[in-house]
Amino acid sequence: MVRDASSIVTRRQSRGHSARLAAVAMLLTVGVALGAEPKEWLERMNHALTTRNYIGVFTHNQGGRVETLRIIHRVRGRDVSERLLSLDGAGREFIREGDELVCYFPDKKTVLVERRAPDGPLLGALPTIGDDSALVYEIRGGQRERLLNRTTRVVTLHPRDQFRYGYKLWIDEETAMPLKTQLCDKTGEVIEQIVFSTIDLPERIPDSMFKPQMDASTYRWLRAERQVASNATPALWEAMRLPPGFRMANRSAQALPGSSEPVAHLVFTDGIASVSVFVEPRKPDSAPPQVGPARVGSSSAFSTVIDGHQVTAVGEVPPNTVELIAKQVKASKTATQGLGLAPPPQRK
Amino acid sequence: MKEETSEERHVERDSQLSAMFDGELSAAECELIARRLARDEALRSQWSRYAMVGAALRAERGVALHERVAFRVQAAIAQEVTYGEDVAATSTRTAAVVPGEVLRRAGTRRWSALAKPMFGAGIAASVAAASILMLRGQGDTEQPALLAAAPASENVVLASEAAPAPAAGTLASAAARRPSSGEPERYITPPSGQAGIASPARLANYVVAHSEYSGPLSRRMALLGLVGAEAANEDASTPADAEDSSAVAAGAPDGP
Repeated sequence: MVRDASSIVTRRQSRGHSARLAAVAMLLTVGVALGAEPKEWLERMNHALTTRNYIGVFTHNQGGRVETLRIIHRVRGRDVSERLLSLDGAGREFIREGDELVCYFPDKKTVLVERRAPDGPLLGALPTIGDDSALVYEIRGGQRERLLNRTTRVVTLHPRDQFRYGYKLWIDEETAMPLKTQLCDKTGEVIEQIVFSTIDLPERIPDSMFKPQMDASTYRWLRAERQVASNATPALWEAMRLPPGFRMANRSAQALPGSSEPVAHLVFTDGIASVSVFVEPRKPDSAPPQVGPARVGSSSAFSTVIDGHQVTAVGEVPPNTVELIAKQVKASKTATQGLGLAPPPQRK
Repeated sequence: MKEETSEERHVERDSQLSAMFDGELSAAECELIARRLARDEALRSQWSRYAMVGAALRAERGVALHERVAFRVQAAIAQEVTYGEDVAATSTRTAAVVPGEVLRRAGTRRWSALAKPMFGAGIAASVAAASILMLRGQGDTEQPALLAAAPASENVVLASEAAPAPAAGTLASAAARRPSSGEPERYITPPSGQAGIASPARLANYVVAHSEYSGPLSRRMALLGLVGAEAANEDASTPADAEDSSAVAAGAPDGP
């Protein structure tokens, strides 16, 4: 009996020793990867978000309000379907399938159908976290933290200037899904937070999961016109100056509901945050010009009028960034003939 | 000089429309804008572009159909004679009695009437009308005045059928404020301080379009902003509210 007991202890000791060895070996391995690790976790996360099927429930907390939502995301080849469903309140739903985003507002018995520009990038095409990003964000972390009974890696993106927000992410070690996301301002104060309570990554998600839960057949359906008038060559718009780290990532003509003419849509990104600029011609003496800041959730917007065009910048960035970008938009010289109708107001 | 005046007028008109959407204008002022919308095709189509989105986005809580104003607006914008008569009749009945039942029935009829031109040539007018229907604020203190002026709504309908002539009654005082230059109604803009982009609806369009082009993280954030768009609007008008909150994501959205 006694011998047996001592041998057990011995075995335990040796097991403990090898476990320590393994731990040291693992630490070494991790140490090698540590240099680029937070960035790699971000890339893994982006990859997971855009390539994996997932169904999850999360709480969204912004401006002191909490809302519970379910998200269903499916990727089949180049086909991305997504359903965002509010579990609180009126049960609004956003369902994206193919190039259509259908917004259901049961409280208003209204359905809004938005279409993507046909020449737009793949939904999965995302800004890459390049070296540029490291110039404007301090990317830190990679340490493990327990969250929702899962092991996560915590990565922070701290903005190096006042032109962007920071992120703090709890990335699931096994799946690379962000289980918790915080949007923070320069001082580190949390502006917006998303926390998943459940998340599944099924192999397949049936089409039936992308049907709205309400019968919308009696709702009013509003659609953007599919085609935009293309007889006039849309002016090539660009930004003269941009905040540090931002670059133009995309430029297209977009059909928006009710617009007879294409709306120029420019996208600027610093690799993490992005800002869209929309340029619409103003018919003289018709549309009231809109100038000033606005806010949708934690997104900022700024509108101004430039050369007879309504220019609006929108993005998940601080208000000063959208304002700066909006005011820097100009038509390229090669394409200004389209502006003939609008007298360029030079007045300051 | 002339250009600047016109620009100013645009700004003012814009903020008036905005104020109306925010439920801050009196009933009489709303009616004037509605009539202006009925006459001014350009203005109407401008608004149709985004009015409905904002309506849908903002009207979930705290803002409800303002039936009586709704009828006026509808009547002013309606082009079809029979349709206009129908609404006018309903409106009069409503004004006289105002039980909830009548309002609801009238509402149903209005939607079915709206449904027809929705995908046709009448889309601009319909959408503009609907947006006003939906966005009119609930806490309107002008209701009694509006009820008293009920007969005027018939005048409005008749006027819009025949010619854009000013109607009598409640409109007189506002008409007196018109400048002689020919630019129609000018209204009192309430000092709401919300002088930013006047159209949350168009903004919503932009945010949706933008979300398609941003990274997966920020895309989610952007769309979530839309789900809670009404909250955003409130934050914009009363930033102090955000600071009162003690929840996790509280804090000053306007921080540096």
